[in-house]
Amino acid sequence: MTADTTLIIGGGPAGLEAARLIGDLGQKAILVEKRDALGGIPIAEHYAALTHGFRSAEEAMNELIAAARANPTVDIRLSTEVVECSGAAGDFRVKLAKAGNGAGETLSVGSIIVATGFQHFDPGRETQMYGYYEYDDVITLADAEKMLKENKFVTPSKGTPPERVCFIQCVGSRDRQIGNEYCSKVCCGISSKQAIEVRQQVPGAKVFIFYIDMRMYGYWENEIYWPAQEKYHVQYVKGIITEIIRKGDRLLVRGEDTTMGRPMEVPMDVVVLAVGMEPSKGTKDVAKILGLQQNKYNFIEVPHGLDPTATSAPGIFVAGAAAGPKDLDDTMSMAGAAAMKAAALVAKKARAVA
Amino acid sequence: MAVGLDKVRPDKVTEEKHLVVEGMDISGHWNRMFEQRVIWDYDVDNLEKVTNLPGGESLGWCYGCAKCTAVCPIDIVGDYSPRKIHRKTQIGVDLFTSSDLWLCTTCMNCLRVCPKEVNMIQIMPAVREQAVLTGAVPPELQKAFEDTAKHGNPLGQPQRKRADWAKAAGVPVPIMKDLKRAVDILWYVGSYPAYHPRGMDAARAAARIFNALGIDFGILGIEEKDDGDSQRLAGEKGLFEMLAEQNIAAFGKYEFNRMVVTGPHEFNAFKNEYPKYGADFKVAHYTRFLVEHLDKLRPMLKKPINLKVTFHDPCYLGRHNGEYEAPRELLRAIPGIELVEMGRCRENGYCCGGGGGGMWLDSFTKEHTTMRLSERRVREAAEYGAEVLAVCCPFEVSRFEDAAKSTGNDKLIVRDILELLDESMKE
Repeated sequence: MTADTTLIIGGGPAGLEAARLIGDLGQKAILVEKRDALGGIPIAEHYAALTHGFRSAEEAMNELIAAARANPTVDIRLSTEVVECSGAAGDFRVKLAKAGNGAGETLSVGSIIVATGFQHFDPGRETQMYGYYEYDDVITLADAEKMLKENKFVTPSKGTPPERVCFIQCVGSRDRQIGNEYCSKVCCGISSKQAIEVRQQVPGAKVFIFYIDMRMYGYWENEIYWPAQEKYHVQYVKGIITEIIRKGDRLLVRGEDTTMGRPMEVPMDVVVLAVGMEPSKGTKDVAKILGLQQNKYNFIEVPHGLDPTATSAPGIFVAGAAAGPKDLDDTMSMAGAAAMKAAALVAKKARAVA
Repeated sequence: MAVGLDKVRPDKVTEEKHLVVEGMDISGHWNRMFEQRVIWDYDVDNLEKVTNLPGGESLGWCYGCAKCTAVCPIDIVGDYSPRKIHRKTQIGVDLFTSSDLWLCTTCMNCLRVCPKEVNMIQIMPAVREQAVLTGAVPPELQKAFEDTAKHGNPLGQPQRKRADWAKAAGVPVPIMKDLKRAVDILWYVGSYPAYHPRGMDAARAAARIFNALGIDFGILGIEEKDDGDSQRLAGEKGLFEMLAEQNIAAFGKYEFNRMVVTGPHEFNAFKNEYPKYGADFKVAHYTRFLVEHLDKLRPMLKKPINLKVTFHDPCYLGRHNGEYEAPRELLRAIPGIELVEMGRCRENGYCCGGGGGGMWLDSFTKEHTTMRLSERRVREAAEYGAEVLAVCCPFEVSRFEDAAKSTGNDKLIVRDILELLDESMKE
C-alpha cells in the first residue's frame, strides 16, 4: 500500500459515505471499524425511522453499507482499531490492530478521515432529578427507538400501551453544571419524530413535550414540528420538568408552565428523556492517537469556519458527530466534503510526484 | 412588585356595588373587572443594575427553563422563583426596592437544579448589601442587625449572659478563659443555643452528652459572638466582617484541635467563609462529631423512644455542605425510633424559612406569602404521620414549634437530635 490511499476511521453513516465517494472517484480507501458490524449508532442502537423522510434506519444503513462494500477500491476492516499514527499530510504511517489484539499491520496513507461519531448522554449523571436508574418508566430517546422499531411502545413496568407519554428536552445538554453547555441540535426533532411515531402506534396515547426552546429549522420544521402539532396533536408545553416523583403506579412530573406562570404536577405513564450527544470513546481515543486538538467538550476541534472538515492536523479531516452534535443530513454533507478534501490531497500529491 | 409595575392597573379596576344580571345578584366583587397593563418597554437598566454588581452577574444568565420554580420553597407559598425574578427585573422591576429582595432564604435548591448556574446565594446578598447601604431594609431585619452589632447576638440579649445557660446543665461546662489550657474540642455554642429558651435545652443536652462521652472540651462563654453568616446573606457584609474578625481573634487566643458547632449556619461560616478572613482550623457539625463517637455513645442510649420520627434536613448542613447521613445515623442509633422520610428530604429538603435572614423577617414574609415555610413544613411532617419532627439547626426548634401550634398540629413534637439523644441516655 502506498500513500495513494485514504484511511477512514469509523463505519457509521459518515465513514460509509466518505468511503463510497472516494471509491467512486476511483481512489483507494481503507475503512476501519472497531465494532464487528457496520452502520454505526443507527444500527448498534436499533434506531427506528430516520429523519428526514421517515425511512427505516436499518434499510437506509444497509443501502450505505452495500454501496461501500460494492466498491472494489474500498477495503473494509471490521473489529479493527488505529493504534498509532506518525508522519504528515500526504505521507502518514498508521498502525492498525485487531480489536483486543496488539499485533498489527503498519500502512502508508495519504490522508485520513475521522468519522468516529458520538454516544448518547447517560442520564445516570442526573439521577437525583429524573431517576433514570430508579424508575422503569423513565427511558431515553435511544430506549424509545428500540421499542418503536419493534412497533411495541409500552409502559415498561406494565407491558401495556401507555395513556400518557411525555418528553423532557435538553437532558445533558445546555447545562453548565453537567459541563455540556452546547445544544445537541437533534433532540427537539427526534423527540417530535418519536412523538409522531407514538401517536401512530398508540393512537390512544396523549403525548406531551416539555421544552425550554424548540430548535427545529429546515425540514425539521415542515416535516416534523408542524405535523406533530397539527396532524398528530402532540402537546408542546414551554417549561422544563425539574423532577419526577412516583405517585401510585404512575409518575408525576413537576415543573413550571412558564407561559402560564403556574406550577404543574402532571401524571405520566412513560417519561422519555431527550438525551443529547457526547463524543464517543472512539472519538476521544482517536483524537489522542492522531494528536488532534479537541474542544472543551472533547469533540474534535474544527479550527477554521470556512473549512468545516479540517482538523488541527493538515491532511486529517473530520466528518459527522465526531466534530460535534449533528443530524444525518449535515453528517452526510460533511462526509462528502471530507471525501473531496481527502481525495484532492492524494491526487495533488500524485501529480507532484509525476 | 414595585409600584406601577403590577400586572393589573390599580386605577382600572371596576366594580358595581349593586348589580343583578338575569335575576342573578352579582353585586360587589362578583362583577369586578380588571384591565392589564401593557408591557410597553423592556427597561433593562434594572437588570443591569443587578448584573453589574460583583456576585449579581448570573441573574442575567437565566434562559427561562423554570427548573428552579418547581423546587423554590417560596413559590409553594407565593409567586416566586429565580426565573420569575429574572423576568420581572427584565420588564423593569427594581429588585433593590422590591419586596422580592427579602423573601429568598438562600436555601440553594434552585442552584442545585439550575443548568445555567444562576446563583441566588450570591445575587441576593450582593443586591441586599446595596439596599442595606441605602437603609431600605425591613425594620425587623434592621433591628436584628442592630442587636447583633450592639450585643453580639441577634436576639438582643446581653453579652455578659452568653454562658448563663450552662448553669442549669447539671454538668460542668468549662470556659476557656478559666481553663487556662489547651482542649481537644472548642465547642462554639452559637447565639440561639446560648439565649433562646428552646435553644438552651439543646445546648444543655449537648453538654451532658459531651460529659458522658468524656470529651475534653471548652466553650468561649462571653468571648463568643454570633457567627454573622445569616446577617451576611441578608446583606450586612460589614457586620459579618466585624464579627468574623472578633471571633477569629477570640479563637486565636486558645489552643484546640478541632471546633465543634451546634448549628449548620455557624458550620457554613467557619468552614467556607472565615478562612477568607484568615481563620485556619478544623470544624465539625455536632452530628458528624457524635457519629465519630457512636461506638461509645450507642451503649448509653438505653431508654427507648417509641415514636415515629421524621428528620428535617437543614439547608446549610445538607445542600450547602453535603451532610445528609450523620443526623440520620444518630437517629437510627436511638432505640425505638421509627425513622420516616418526608417527600421533600435530603437534596430536595424543604426550607424552614429561617436562613438568609428569614429568621428575622417573620412578619415581612408572612405579609407576602400565604403561609410561613415552617408551617408548610410542619404540615408535610404531619401528612407523613410523624409524631416527632427532629432537627439539628438551632433556628428550627422554635420555628417549628410555633408552626405546629399555628397550623393546629399541636401533637407534633419538635426536638433537636441532641435532646432526643439526651432523653435516651436517661436512666
